[in-house]
Amino acid sequence: MAPRKLPPVDIVIVGMGWAGGIMAKELGPTGLKIAVLERGGPRSTQDDFNIPQIRDELRFHQRTGLMMDTAKDTLTVRNKLSEEALPMRRLGSFLPGEGVGGSGVHWNGVNWRWADQDLKIRSHYEQRYGKAYIPADMPLRDWAVGYAELEPFYEKFEYTTGVSGKAGNLKGKLQPGGNPYEGARAKDYPMPPLTPSLASNMFTKAATEVGFHPFPRPASQASQPWVNRDGQQLGQCQYCGFCERFGCESNSKGSPHITVIPVALKNQNVDLRTYSWVQKVLLDSTGKKATGVLYVNVKTGEELEQPADLVILSGYQLNNVHLLLLSGIGKPYDPKTREGIVGANYCYQVQGGVTLFFEDRAFNPFISTGSLGAIMDDFHYNQDFDRSKIGTIGGATLAMGGPHGRPINYHPTPPGTPQWGSEFKRATAKWYQGAVNIAATGSVMPHADNCLTLDPTYKNRFGQPLLRMTFDFHDNDYKVIGQATDAAGVIAKAMNPKIIAPGASRRSGWSVVPYQTTHNTGGAIMGAQPGASVVNKFGQSWDVPNVFVTSAAVFPHNSAYNPTGPVGALAFFAADAIKNRYLKKPGMLV
Amino acid sequence: MKTLIGLSLLAFLAASPALAAGDAKHGKVVFAQCAACHSFDAAKNDPGPNLKGIVGRKSAQVEDYIYSGAMKRSEIVWDEQTLNAYLSNPRVVVPRSKMPFAGMPDPHDRDDLIAFLKTQ
Repeated sequence: MAPRKLPPVDIVIVGMGWAGGIMAKELGPTGLKIAVLERGGPRSTQDDFNIPQIRDELRFHQRTGLMMDTAKDTLTVRNKLSEEALPMRRLGSFLPGEGVGGSGVHWNGVNWRWADQDLKIRSHYEQRYGKAYIPADMPLRDWAVGYAELEPFYEKFEYTTGVSGKAGNLKGKLQPGGNPYEGARAKDYPMPPLTPSLASNMFTKAATEVGFHPFPRPASQASQPWVNRDGQQLGQCQYCGFCERFGCESNSKGSPHITVIPVALKNQNVDLRTYSWVQKVLLDSTGKKATGVLYVNVKTGEELEQPADLVILSGYQLNNVHLLLLSGIGKPYDPKTREGIVGANYCYQVQGGVTLFFEDRAFNPFISTGSLGAIMDDFHYNQDFDRSKIGTIGGATLAMGGPHGRPINYHPTPPGTPQWGSEFKRATAKWYQGAVNIAATGSVMPHADNCLTLDPTYKNRFGQPLLRMTFDFHDNDYKVIGQATDAAGVIAKAMNPKIIAPGASRRSGWSVVPYQTTHNTGGAIMGAQPGASVVNKFGQSWDVPNVFVTSAAVFPHNSAYNPTGPVGALAFFAADAIKNRYLKKPGMLV
Repeated sequence: MKTLIGLSLLAFLAASPALAAGDAKHGKVVFAQCAACHSFDAAKNDPGPNLKGIVGRKSAQVEDYIYSGAMKRSEIVWDEQTLNAYLSNPRVVVPRSKMPFAGMPDPHDRDDLIAFLKTQ
């Protein structure tokens, strides 16, 4: 049956998370007809995140109740180009969100500004260490946008989500207690830092004594009652310990469903359609102009065509890349010939660290937020840290703060403890209060082999090829995390615990099974020139100028920082360009 | 369960200091801690029920709001004393209610907030 053709709209936005919500809020006042297609269902604090139902660790942590359902959609995964990729049947390494608010409802709320250390990364390393320093199989690129240009949009995002933190650099003046390596900010954080935990205080003291510069991790949990610039109210964080993987019960975690989305939906011309699964962007006969999107109402199975003048892909990073490939927008990357660009530069993050066991401390790990803790940038944004000694590009942050001490998943025991039985129970009871982790999170640079392509074998329920991920850690990633884990050990010693347990060895390669991080980036990277990038700095496709992409898919590499800050800032940046320039004169913005 | 709740509330009441007349103007400022979930718009419920006319009313009376079983069974009349006790430690006074709030330790803040609630 031919899809039912709907009356045209001016703009179609695909995905209603942070990026889609920002786009809809910013473009709503233009009065143009906007349809937002969200493949998941509606979500609200009162219906979905109220207590006691939201504090269900089995449902939301073990069974990932708020995330993508792999029975309905998944991707295939392999480590090496020579392997055959197989479908991921259960979520593990990363947890893409689904439904109104997207991953923005179950994130930890760590809200960074990526500055020129990331945005001008290739220039910096070439200048400091020489052109030959960058390996030939590392397609490292500068972003097409600099920190100064993005700074006002970071501020917009921070004053939309709310961030509790301590500025380290206000208008070029270093501030004691903040991050000395951050980019200069015109305005301080909207709120003072969260109340530090015992773990944050101990880490701050020990790391400072060793000579580093720890500071409170920037947190999108409100440290006090707060009203954002759109009049949306956030409540004070209650440190309930149910943050990552859960929706916030007290409206304290800056999330799209309590900030940008309700503001967007006040405009009568913004039409949110849930359970609307976009299959592809439709192009005209030239292939250079989008005419709308084809989608399925997953409740009824009906296929619909939504004509539109402008298509904005604001879904999760993986889904945006998948849609570009399924729609034939841009030249797909071929890892054998290293030609093409859509799907290239897929990056991830690498984890390390040490666990400390104290006999005389009670960390109360059940009192926590997603972002609580102290963190340091001395091996990451600190450009004085000489990489040439270990031969790395990028770096890692070290942090200690609040673990989520929930009963099913949190039972830290020293190495050598049995995995079950009475000895395991005894050790869990003994160490539950006294264990704490110094977490190292490392950047991952692009590698010519790491990419997203269409799978030749496996198809989704609509008969479309699944997205295929080829990913493994490479030499640089292991060196970055190895150095950071060694440094974590030095700080751990300064804290004098009874036992220091090393983190898992990173030499074993990437596995899709244990949870690591939902910081997937790249595949539709931005750049200054067509050919070497998929989109320009505004997320506008070089090949089909009335298609924009906004999400972490446009990141040319991955930092040690969490990605939501630049996702939000780039969405505001693109919305501004669309509103003030593109809609007045449609065409290439660069 | 009802008796238990009643007892814990009584214990709180017995321990509460004498109530002073609050400053409604400051109470409005204190209310910012509640405003992410509560309003006074009788037509609307946010994550928490609207609080229009709360002082003097029995618990769990807002139509269209889905209360927890604990709150429905609590049968509290919200006057100065019961509100004061509840706001000091909601999760002890009505265990298993839906309100995720740790409580307001400062007795002056509570008095002022109750004075403000009376005006609504």
